[in-house]
Amino acid sequence: MAALSFVVFLSLVALTAPMIVGTRPIVCKYKGEIYFPATYYYWRILGLNTQAYKTEAVFTNDKFRGVYPGNLKKNDPDSWAIWPLVYQDPYRPIEADEWPGQPESPSGIEGAPNKYNLLGTNDDGVDVFAQMVHATQISLLVGFVSMGIAALIGVIVGALAGFYGGWIDVILSRVIEVVMCLPTLILILAVRSILDDITIWHLMVLIGATGWTGIARLTRAEFMKIREIEYVSAARSLGAGQMRLMFVHILRNALAPILVPISFGIASAILTEGALSFLGFGAPPPNPSWGTLLSEGRTRIQTMWWLVVYPGMAIFSTVLAYNLIGEGVQEATDPRTRETS
Amino acid sequence: MTLEMKEEIVPAVAATRPLLEVRDMKVHFPFRRGGWFTGESGFVRAVDGISFTLGEGETLGLVGESGCGKSTTAKAILNLTPPTSGEVYIDGHRIDGLTGSAMRPYRRDVQMIFQDPFASLNPRMTVGSTIGEPIKIYRLARGVDRKLEVMRLMELVGLNPRYINRYPHEFSGGQRQRIGIARALAVRPRLILCDEPVSALDVSIQAQVVNLLMDLQQKLGLSYLFIAHDLSVVRHISTRVGVMYLGRIVEMAPAEALYESPQHPYTQALLSAIPVPDPALERTRRRVVLQGEVPSPDKEYPGCPFADRCPIVDDSLCRDHPPMLAGSAHKAACFKADTSSL
Repeated sequence: MAALSFVVFLSLVALTAPMIVGTRPIVCKYKGEIYFPATYYYWRILGLNTQAYKTEAVFTNDKFRGVYPGNLKKNDPDSWAIWPLVYQDPYRPIEADEWPGQPESPSGIEGAPNKYNLLGTNDDGVDVFAQMVHATQISLLVGFVSMGIAALIGVIVGALAGFYGGWIDVILSRVIEVVMCLPTLILILAVRSILDDITIWHLMVLIGATGWTGIARLTRAEFMKIREIEYVSAARSLGAGQMRLMFVHILRNALAPILVPISFGIASAILTEGALSFLGFGAPPPNPSWGTLLSEGRTRIQTMWWLVVYPGMAIFSTVLAYNLIGEGVQEATDPRTRETS
Repeated sequence: MTLEMKEEIVPAVAATRPLLEVRDMKVHFPFRRGGWFTGESGFVRAVDGISFTLGEGETLGLVGESGCGKSTTAKAILNLTPPTSGEVYIDGHRIDGLTGSAMRPYRRDVQMIFQDPFASLNPRMTVGSTIGEPIKIYRLARGVDRKLEVMRLMELVGLNPRYINRYPHEFSGGQRQRIGIARALAVRPRLILCDEPVSALDVSIQAQVVNLLMDLQQKLGLSYLFIAHDLSVVRHISTRVGVMYLGRIVEMAPAEALYESPQHPYTQALLSAIPVPDPALERTRRRVVLQGEVPSPDKEYPGCPFADRCPIVDDSLCRDHPPMLAGSAHKAACFKADTSSL
């Protein structure tokens, strides 16, 4: 339950990240029009930079240079804006008096947590809290998209192998074994050396396309077990089609055990993304990522402890939460345990 | 007395059109033992050439020890376990080997009730969706109509329709078996294959379920192929009874005739094993105790497969496969069977 609330909390943080911390207004009225400049951050995280700059077109023309509070008032005295809770930016250090009375972000060893930089700043003076909050989007996106791909492939392959058996099973099982032998990290590094600009989407597809083997093997085993149970024969004798047998009768009963490797997979996808960013092969800086923060803190662990502790804690607790959720989901979806607990 | 019984039943059986006819059906499972080069391979002859007919409104009981091929017979009729050879006719249409959509119209006529009421219901489907599934598959009704039909079926089998949204694990064994029966009835079949429907139930519940099946037969004009290893239950419900041994039917007779004057030595041994509730009678009754175990069904027997255990075996006679003695309602596959009363 605690794990589930934590993941719900993380999801809320991810969805509302630009409203929690950022330098762009959530809503503003400028020269008679309503704008949502904070959507810039969503496009930026998804790697759609052209779309991101489009949201700013009018402000770029008026030479805002990313600094909104002063420019809004200067160019249009009638303008108003609703601001994020914390005025800090995950992509750049802020300058003195960008926000009235807020000092310039310190950098390096000076940037210990303080009143304005809640979790300190990194070497370049970029606020750690802002990066942490915006990075939840990355880790949730990586977890869900890559495991969504993996679950789709894994369940279909496992279901076909387990349901039909015979030579279909032999071929699919060999495919599973071959894919299992591909080292994800090295594959991603190899792809990275071929593709010039790698985005977060390439990472997610690669993690998903190599991470489905565990799900497939478990699905296969569950299908083999359940297809022999009498209610499947009963449905067959009623004249149920193969799709109906596979997805209504077998998959529904196999789902609980399959959800376990899926939630473990989300955890390991987040870890993989963290590891890649740590090695400097993840989403390219200045994109915020827990792994990138960790790797920055690696050489300065004795002086700039805040660069290691906070992202480390974030990765640890997220991965732990997903692992706990695996078991929780299993209990919640089984009508027999639902009755007794 | 038995003679008179037969006189009455023979024409009745002959007059009814066979709803189900099975001709020389065999189900063999290939197996391998040991290594690829040193091991042996062969077939387990689960069902080894059985033939019978079943008329409209009739109940044919199939009895026999565990592993004699009773359940496999039922599964092979519905092609759940495809028969190796032989022919199956429903109402004159040949259905063996039919799969998928070709089989569908016949599946509506023939439904099945399974042995284990705990395994035969999908644990994640409510009673309503379990009973409603065949209605959905055959598009017989939708929406509210389907729900009403499900509730009518629940009432028909003695379940409270209020339980429509409950899950199988909330019911007792007998109630679950009633759900299974309601599911089988949903498509209004003419024949129901009952694969040991009461073996997994308490004795008191067994009687309820058997009586329910008999009531339904009267109301709906159903035919049953009733498989069981409990001879008393079979006697209660069946019009005719077939005795199976090692994948073959060794004796087939109207129920009363079979129980009154069994012909085949195996049937005699089986019947003599039924305990009698009266202790005085129990002490005096004659028991035929068979020697040895049921032989393995993975070998082919040149002579009578029962010869090794037969108390009346005659080596000169029993070297060949005994044919079913035909031409009478009471048939036994034995050379030495007591045919004097036939």
